[in-house]
Amino acid sequence: MEVANGASSASAPTLNGEREDAGGYKLKLCTVCASNQNRSMEAHLRLSQANYPVISFGTGSLVRLPGPTIHQPNVYPFNKVSYDTMYKELDGKDHRLYTANGLLNMLGRNRQVKWGPERWQDWQIGVPRTEQGKDRGHTGTEGGVVDVVFTCEERCWDAVIDDLLNRGSPLNRPVHVINVDIKDNHEEASIGGQGILELADSLNKAAKEERDIIGATAFDMASAASRASFDERVPEIIGDWQEKWPNLPATWTLAWF
Amino acid sequence: MAAAPQLSVADQIRQLEGARKLVLKDVSYYPQVIQATLPIIGPSSQVEFRRWGSDFLAEAFATPAVPLSSKETLSLVVLDTLKALVEDPKQDVLVLRTTLCFDCLHQHFPLARRHLRITTLREGSIADLGAFVSINNSYDSTTWEKMTAIKTRIRDIWDTAPPTRGDPLDISRNMVPPNHPALDGDQLEAEASGLLDRMLSALENESSDPLLVDATLNTLSILVRQRPKTSSRIISTLFNFNPLRLATTAPLTPKTKVLVKSMEKTTRMLLTHLYRRDPHNPLAGRMQQYVERLVRSRAEIFDESGRKRAMVDQVSAVEAKRQRTATLSTQPQIEITPLKPGANTLADVFTFTNNDGLKNFNVSGTIPAPLAARISVRTIAQLDAEILQRAINGVRARLVAFHEAHQQPINPETAPLDVEEDDDDYEPDYYAAEDTEQLMNKLDSSPSDERRDLQAPVLGALALPAFKLPPPPTLDPEQAARVGQGAIARVFGTMQTLEDPTSKKSKAGLNRLAANSYDRDSWITVITRLATRANAGLDEISVKDEDNALTLPSVNMSDSIREMLYAYVLEDFRKRIDVAVTWLSEEWYKERVQQRFAPPPNQPCDFPANYEKWTLRLVDAFLPYLHSQDKILTRFLSELPELSVSILSRINTLCRDPSLVNLALTSLYYLVVFRPPVRNIALDTVQDIWTEYEDARPMAAKYLQRWRPGFVEAAQRGAGTPVGTNGAVVAT
Repeated sequence: MEVANGASSASAPTLNGEREDAGGYKLKLCTVCASNQNRSMEAHLRLSQANYPVISFGTGSLVRLPGPTIHQPNVYPFNKVSYDTMYKELDGKDHRLYTANGLLNMLGRNRQVKWGPERWQDWQIGVPRTEQGKDRGHTGTEGGVVDVVFTCEERCWDAVIDDLLNRGSPLNRPVHVINVDIKDNHEEASIGGQGILELADSLNKAAKEERDIIGATAFDMASAASRASFDERVPEIIGDWQEKWPNLPATWTLAWF
Repeated sequence: MAAAPQLSVADQIRQLEGARKLVLKDVSYYPQVIQATLPIIGPSSQVEFRRWGSDFLAEAFATPAVPLSSKETLSLVVLDTLKALVEDPKQDVLVLRTTLCFDCLHQHFPLARRHLRITTLREGSIADLGAFVSINNSYDSTTWEKMTAIKTRIRDIWDTAPPTRGDPLDISRNMVPPNHPALDGDQLEAEASGLLDRMLSALENESSDPLLVDATLNTLSILVRQRPKTSSRIISTLFNFNPLRLATTAPLTPKTKVLVKSMEKTTRMLLTHLYRRDPHNPLAGRMQQYVERLVRSRAEIFDESGRKRAMVDQVSAVEAKRQRTATLSTQPQIEITPLKPGANTLADVFTFTNNDGLKNFNVSGTIPAPLAARISVRTIAQLDAEILQRAINGVRARLVAFHEAHQQPINPETAPLDVEEDDDDYEPDYYAAEDTEQLMNKLDSSPSDERRDLQAPVLGALALPAFKLPPPPTLDPEQAARVGQGAIARVFGTMQTLEDPTSKKSKAGLNRLAANSYDRDSWITVITRLATRANAGLDEISVKDEDNALTLPSVNMSDSIREMLYAYVLEDFRKRIDVAVTWLSEEWYKERVQQRFAPPPNQPCDFPANYEKWTLRLVDAFLPYLHSQDKILTRFLSELPELSVSILSRINTLCRDPSLVNLALTSLYYLVVFRPPVRNIALDTVQDIWTEYEDARPMAAKYLQRWRPGFVEAAQRGAGTPVGTNGAVVAT
């Protein structure tokens, strides 16, 4: 069985936070931040290490990375430039600067996770994702849909909800969109990633429990708690989680793909 | 292939997964794979297979990668299996949910129903529909299912609006032919509106289950868009829905906070989305207000100061991002400490070192000036620019701090100078500069106070410079004229809205002040003076200097104002005749003044004769509208400052209409009696009328007999008496 959450670090066993796959049902997850670089990628890595099917996106218009000054950011288009290209370019520009501010470290991590930053608004929901086989957390996301979307900033949550309202829910499939407010720096991203993983664990536990109730007999005879479907338990789970993580303010809604 | 006994469930699922991966890579395999898997996932198989199967079918029918036409074919293939799945009363809830909610209804039924339309009725499909309804009812207690089911049903069946063309997924009742054997339009419509009510009841009920609320809210946008007839019902429900209600009824634990915030945010997102998408919706304004109100009440309920990052915090966050770039510099750092409170010398302000020995070292006393200069130049040349910059900024910061620290204690003493003590005042910089100036004035006059005397120069030097906006780009005359016209047009707009003064005040005439109040009279005075006086000089230039005329704007400002005044008066000339009189009096006055300062008579003087020109235009414009009872003409003629022959000759023309003869003659007679200066030309006009219009003779003769005795007799006697038009005869 899976351990309740990632906070019990004693049972987070193997190297590099890699967790042994306990098998069983897995919620399909998605992480979203502004540039699909820092916060969403940290969470993507964490969730994939815990063997969740996971994909990630950015909601910004462009990928923006800090440059030599606040007025000279490094800007790249979404979906076109790989993390590896960015890594090599910035390394060539100013190795010392981009080592010192952690960008190369971050891009180095990201290129181990997937090919390049993807834009939320360009995501064709429901179109099979078979090309991304090498991405971490790809297994389970081939169908091109997810059950839960984690955003890392209120304005990304807004962008996701607005986009979903615009799309007009052609798939008619519910999706929980949960914002976990994380400041955009390396330390906070790491803490936030931990928080998201823990929330994902709690959600998955509930989903699994719901799945383990087999057949109409069980449904009819079970207690009220087991009758409540997974979706009905989500608000409770988020509430519990928020009490534990008061510094990562959360917003949640049930939207439709 | 089905249920090969030697394979375990897990292995079979793995096989099925292999098939699924195949179709995901190439969707053209879907028909074969679905055909092949149907027996495995049928109602009699194990629950794992049924679950996998319903998920698989849901995916197949949902994916945009499969074209609609193939889905339509596929839907008929799977129909029987699905029917069997949902009709099994002991069906696994998970299978049911997937089958019912995502697949069977939304994706499958529309297609099946379309098929009905195309071909003949299939009993099975309708049975499915019935099965769904009954199953839905029997599981009524699970609100989740109810909600999703309702939603999908709504999307399927709902319709009141005409069919939308662009969206092939949109199934509308209008697609059902009126005499369809199975689908009764009215019944569907009634059912649909019932379902909408049920759906919206999630928002109307007191017990707000956040899941239900959020899920419902997120489905409403598409309904509003595709079924405009439902939009007002939905939006008014939204207005009545208070997502913050939970916060007022339940204790504010972190859990309720998250839930309330989520519902509030979802509501806000939906409304924002709706009014952004359709800004011309008559309810858009109210939606915006509602959103603003929500934000305010949310802020009241949650004191967010603790949660939201404060401004300072954000600044430090930015620094945290870049902090390592700052430490890259290997140069020695300087430490800039704030100044000690109390009196500081100028040297203190510029000193960064803590070394007392260095501080007390007197350069000018020990080192000869040329040497000191050479050392300074070399040192500055070698200085790291960054450090220098930091030092300069440090000194600046100290000076600002010093300035701020020393302003406060002085404030009370400058109170008589009306110095603002309020620190929160708007534009503090602006006031700071003023303060200092006032302060200096006061210090000049009170030399006894030594303390302030000492500070005065320091403060003067430290004063923040007054900020000046950059000068605006210069307008070319054309632009200026256009902008000016716009301004005038706005004044007219304002005048239209102003009410008539309730009580008549005595008029000050030409001596009145232009803008002593903001009533209509004041504006009219402003406008007329703008028209007549503002560029009296410019008019002259444009006439005299032909070359300059090229550079002047093609639109003459004064004339355009006159045009507007003219139009304004004519809009309602009976009421606005006093405006006309005011305006023409101003014109006349201006011309008189111009004449007084005119060059000697031997030089040609060509001021444009605006008074005459505009008076004639006005008279010409309103004369055709006069009726026999209009006293307005009499009044207008008597109030005009100057009457000329040409103006009066216009009155002459009135007599063409026999019913107006009386009016014309009375008005002229009034002038004869009460305005001696124009008596003669008025009488001339009467004479002309007598000559020209037979109908007017009896009455004209009556007046002439009194004032020009003998004229009528002479005229009647010698028909040849030369009586020309008005201009030709100037008697006495």
